[in-house]
Order: sequence, then C-alpha cells, then structure tokens
Amino acid sequence: MNATLRSLRDLFVSPQLSVVLLVLGMLLIFAATLDQVNLGIWAVQEKYFRSFVIYTRLGSVAVPVFPGGYTIGGLLLINLVAAHVYRFSFTARKAGIQLTHAGLILLLVGELLTGLWQEDYNLRLTEGETRNYAESYRDNELVVVDTTDAQFDDVVTIPERRLAGQAPLQHPKLPFRVVPKAYYPNSVLQARPADATHRPGGQVSLATTGLGERVLAAPQPITYRQDERNLPSAYVELVAADRSLGTYLVSTGLVMPQVFEYGGRQWKIALRVKRAYKPYALTLLKFTFDRYAGTEIPKNFSSRIRLKTPDGRDDREVLIYMNNPLRYAGLTFYQSGFERDERTTILQVVRNPSWLLPYIACALMTLGLIVQFCFHLVGFVGKRRPVAAIKTTPA
Amino acid sequence: MKPCTHLCALGLFPLLIAGCRDREITSYRVPKERDAPPAAASTAHADATAATPAAPSGGSGGAMADTAVATAGGANLTWVAPAHWQAKPGSAMRKGTYAVTGDGGAAAELAITAFPGDVGGDVANVNRWRGQIQLPPLPDAEATRSITRFDYNSLKIGFVEMAGTSGGQPTRITGAIVPYQGATWFFKFLGPDALVAKEKAAFLEFLKTIKPPTSTP
Repeated sequence: MNATLRSLRDLFVSPQLSVVLLVLGMLLIFAATLDQVNLGIWAVQEKYFRSFVIYTRLGSVAVPVFPGGYTIGGLLLINLVAAHVYRFSFTARKAGIQLTHAGLILLLVGELLTGLWQEDYNLRLTEGETRNYAESYRDNELVVVDTTDAQFDDVVTIPERRLAGQAPLQHPKLPFRVVPKAYYPNSVLQARPADATHRPGGQVSLATTGLGERVLAAPQPITYRQDERNLPSAYVELVAADRSLGTYLVSTGLVMPQVFEYGGRQWKIALRVKRAYKPYALTLLKFTFDRYAGTEIPKNFSSRIRLKTPDGRDDREVLIYMNNPLRYAGLTFYQSGFERDERTTILQVVRNPSWLLPYIACALMTLGLIVQFCFHLVGFVGKRRPVAAIKTTPA
Repeated sequence: MKPCTHLCALGLFPLLIAGCRDREITSYRVPKERDAPPAAASTAHADATAATPAAPSGGSGGAMADTAVATAGGANLTWVAPAHWQAKPGSAMRKGTYAVTGDGGAAAELAITAFPGDVGGDVANVNRWRGQIQLPPLPDAEATRSITRFDYNSLKIGFVEMAGTSGGQPTRITGAIVPYQGATWFFKFLGPDALVAKEKAAFLEFLKTIKPPTSTP
C-alpha cells in the first residue's frame, strides 16, 4: 500500500473523523430544524439530508457552505465499516460494542435505502372511477405521448428537474428533441396580450404554438407550505431533424394536454403530476363517512374498492378503512383523506421495502448496549466480591 | 484493488445512485384512459385550461397514514386572469392575488380566498364587505336583492358591487361569492372607486373563466 492510500485509510479509520462527523451531523440537524420554519418539512429533507452539499445563494451564485446528509452519513458509514475492518478486533468481550456498531451501520444503510426505494404517492378516486396509477405528492413530469394506437398510449416522461437545464433532451422513442427554453418552478397563468409578446409585469412569452399563444406563465416565488404545491411551467421547443415544431407552454396549471401531429402520428404534450403506473386497476365502488348519530363527529371512513388485474388473476372487492389498509404487490394503501363532496376518496400509497431495518437496527443497538453493560457489570461484581468479604470478616 | 479502495467504492456507489435517481427519461406503454378525452389545442379555449397557482396538494400530503382528514379546501377552482392584471405572490390565506394599476398610480387588488362552509351566509358576507368601506349593513332582504346571480360553468356565482369610502377616499368593491364543494370562495376586487368601476367589465369577464378543475389525462 503506498503512502497516499495508507494516509487515506488512516483518515477513514480514525476515531477523530467519527467525532468530527458526529458534530457536523448535530450541526446539520440543528440548522435544518431551524430552517424548517422557512422551508417546511419536505424541502428541508431535500436540502439538508438528501443532498451531498448544502448551497446558499449569494446574489445569483450558489455557494457551497456545508456538507449535506448524504456526505456526512456516507462518510460515517465508511468510517464505521473501516474501523471494524482495520481497528477493532472481534472478541467476545467486545461483542456489545460490535453489535451496537452493527446496529448503527444498519440504521445508516436503512436511511439510504429508504431514500432510494421508498415510494409515497396518493390515489384519488371518485365513486365509479377506475385508475391504474398513483400520483406523486410533490414531483411533476413532462410527458410526450404518442396517441396514434387505438388501444395504447406510448408515453415518454421527462422529470421536471431536467427542464431546469437548457440542454436538449432526446429519447429513442421521440422523433424530435425537446429543448427547454425557460422553466419556472412556480408560476401563475394569465391571458396573453393579443398584440405583443411582453406584458406589463415584464414577463416574456416564448410560446409560438399551442395554448401558449393565448396564455402566458408569470414566475412566482416557490411555496414551501405543506398544504400547497407549486405550479411549475416551462417553455419547451420541439425540434425535429427537418424543422422546429414550435415552442409550447407547458404547465401543471394547464388542465388539458396539447395535441399536435408529426410524422403521420398523433402526439400529446403536458406537464403533469408524476405518475406511477401499476399492473392492476382500482375502482372506487363506494366511499362512506360515518358519523355518530345526531352529531357531526366522525366515526369511520371507509372505501369499498374493486381490485382487478388485466389477466383476471385478481378480481375482488376490498374494504379500506382506518387501521385496515390494503396490502397488495408490495404496496400499502391507507385511507388517507377525502373530498368534501364525500364521493371522492384519497388513498396514500406507500412502498418501503426497508421499513424493517430501523427496527432491527434499534434492536441490535439495544442488545449490544445490554451485552456490553452486562460484561462490565459481571467484571465489576467479580472485582468487588473479595473486598466485600474482607469487610465482613470483623463483624 | 486495495481493501480501503473497496471500502470507498462500497460507500460511494449507492450515494452516486442516490444522486442520479429521478433524473432519467423513461418510457412505457399504457392502455388508453376511457375517461380522459384529449382536447385539441386549436379548439381548446384558454379559459378552459388553467388551474390556480399554488394549488393545494390534495390535503393529505402531510396527513398521517391511517388518519382520514378532509382536504383543506377541496379541489381548487380554476380561472384565467386578464393580461393587464399583475399576479402577486400568494400569502397564507390567499388562493390568489392580482394587482391592477390605473391612472396616476391608483392601485386596486383582487384577493381570492376560500373558507369551509358558508361563512355565515350571503347576507353576512355582503354586510362584512360593506363594513370594510364604511357602509351600514343592509337588512336581510335588501342584502339578498343586492346580489346578482350568474350560472357559469356549473358554478352559482353571486356578484355584488358597492361604493363607499376607505381612509376618506372613495372606494369601491366588486366581488363574487362562489359556493363550491362545501366551501365558499370569495373574489373581492377592492380599490379606488374610479379604477374598480373601470375594471368592472374585465372583472365580469374574469368571472366567466372561473370553473371547477377537470382531470388531467
């Protein structure tokens, strides 16, 4: 091992690094807790814990100011594993410490896997409505759909964050490129003046075709309120090999998608809430909101759902109510909310394959601490016994 | 590769995956939706296509699993504002805010809010607005008569207009009260008398664009 690698190893193995990382972790949590007032829980999680570096803005420049949760947690994980490989010896007397550290490692890995694998969507169904997809609470996507086929739609989805870059976006299923021209994370839509591209507020409409000829998007500050969602808009130009197909205004505020024709095929373009399609469909048969007799006090909420797979393997009715979710195909459907018309139910759809890891991690750490404590207790009692015998002799 | 390099790679690999997630362009094929008729861009009207800014996320985003709660305001109404109205950032209580400036720097504001229930009923709401511009409350029958009813886009819109004073200046309110899904939406256009009167036609046109949302195909 050369000197550089050795010094790198020594750095990762060192207990000083553990202390520094733990202190940084505490500072991170403290700052994130304070900033939750401004940003809300979701934005804080993304900014502080599910990031490598935390940036602050000085004017228009983003300046890195602190390592993010992925960096601190990742380094802590490497530090712990490296310490076990190089520094700690596996002996029975150290079993408690080993178990405790194993629990900590599992906890860090569990958080990482949760960040990677967890799905948290919602499914909104009105009585009689059938859906085979759930919708994200926060994420949006640009979809370009080939609707030519009579039975199926071929969908290409582009994550919202890709619209923030100016780079042309290409996919083998699209005979044209999608070139983002402008992107607003939050916006309002307004009627566009008929005779100008500029409006009094200074916003410029870049749209040359579609609904953007009549509507423009004006940027707004991002909202971080938990009960609101931003209304992102973007101007995207579709560029084929031979010509530009025009610049479209897309927005989650535009309820209907825009359609166009190219290459003898029918296309549809829209910015919408991100969807997660499932290989089965749910139909809301009946939503029930029971109250205690003579009062408006809620007693029970329930959704009678028909679950059906295309191959006919499953076709059954299920009742989802409080504390009785539907568990199917790795997903859990909770009764989460409803609309005031009491005909529309909102189900929370959750997948978290690593949900058990934090429990196992805590159990391991508890066990490790108990084992370590017992070793010390036994050792302490063993040392104390002769002294006690001496003291009792004179009596 | 040395053990410590292994360790680094082991630790950094999943982090790199985490950094790249949700950035990929993907494709899939789905059966057509039966209840989602597409609208041609050439025929769709602008007023049929817009949703409100900062729309509630469904009300259940922050709700605990297994805890059923009513959504904060139900589904949002949609509208398209005239081009010369300037959208302003929303606030905690507002569904939308628009500023309108007139001659000599006169400024009026359209505030859009929504509250559960009927908020006391039409008479109470009309008299509340009257009180804001130093007008005495009207008897029930007269207050009810002061409301002009419109049916636009399956919504029952109650339009009122009143002129009074605020801070010693002639002030006018043109407003609309819209019951929708167990909540009441208020569109209050308040400002200098002359400016609000001038904008009345635009406000009435704006009311025609208010409609319930439809599902996005």
